[in-house]
Amino acid sequence: MKCNKARELMSAAVDGELTSRENQTLTLHLKECSLCREEFEEAKKTKQIIQEKIVRFKAPQSLVNSIMELSLSGCKEPSDPPMID
Amino acid sequence: MSRPDPIRKSSPDTQKKPLSTEEQLKQSAFQEEALVHINALYNYALHLTMNPDDAHDLVQETYLKAYRFFGSFEKGTNCKAWLFKILKNNYINRYRKNVREPGKVDYDLIKDFYHTIKDTRRDNTETETDYFHSLLHEEVYMAMQSLPEEFREVIQLCDIEGFTYEEIANMVESPIGTVRSRLYRGRKLLRGQLEEYAKKFGFNTEKDR
Repeated sequence: MKCNKARELMSAAVDGELTSRENQTLTLHLKECSLCREEFEEAKKTKQIIQEKIVRFKAPQSLVNSIMELSLSGCKEPSDPPMID
Repeated sequence: MSRPDPIRKSSPDTQKKPLSTEEQLKQSAFQEEALVHINALYNYALHLTMNPDDAHDLVQETYLKAYRFFGSFEKGTNCKAWLFKILKNNYINRYRKNVREPGKVDYDLIKDFYHTIKDTRRDNTETETDYFHSLLHEEVYMAMQSLPEEFREVIQLCDIEGFTYEEIANMVESPIGTVRSRLYRGRKLLRGQLEEYAKKFGFNTEKDR
């Protein structure tokens, strides 16, 4: 397998989305190619950095409360002014 | 004489009819399965709309619709993915025409937005000295925002929300192969961006090329 193809597979490998055959092919290639091994580590790191560094915003309490109330009332729509497109 | 706020139906005495047993069951299943995803939905809505009020409305509409169609939710499948799909459709119908065109990224807007709503919490694992770990939350956020939407979307759904390729394919209405290749290409672009930030801080990223 060429390095280009291996690099494409790496992205899906990081997500655990390779077929077992693809996985085997990639593993074989990584054994032989040190550049791709480094690249694979970088690919894992990229995913990790997104997961760690992207701030996740929590829903404001007012929204949580309003959804709770809506669900408790059987989700009858509030008659707040509807948003107009 | 003011009319009662229609949303506060649960105040004592004023009372609407009790819900049927069937409705009560639906309600408790809905609360158990759907309401737990409110933070993820809000976070996603915020990144789509970049406006807290719009995100609020989008999530509220999503839950209203989800409740109405809760009967069509297949039990045992991923409820979060189902809700995201509803939210995404709502977003497309309502807001899409107002969003920026691909390639036109307003960095000042992003920066302002980020600072307005930024959560001040930081992770305390930043002890490593390599360039990835030197990056700030804001830089990673900006790098993400600089990506074309089709790439940013799949990265967000995969890496931040943890959906499988199949679930993402269903959400973005594209084949799994397309999701896979967008992730590959998007991450490549993202890495380029992150390395640019790293270089500004004097980290040498060339050794890895």
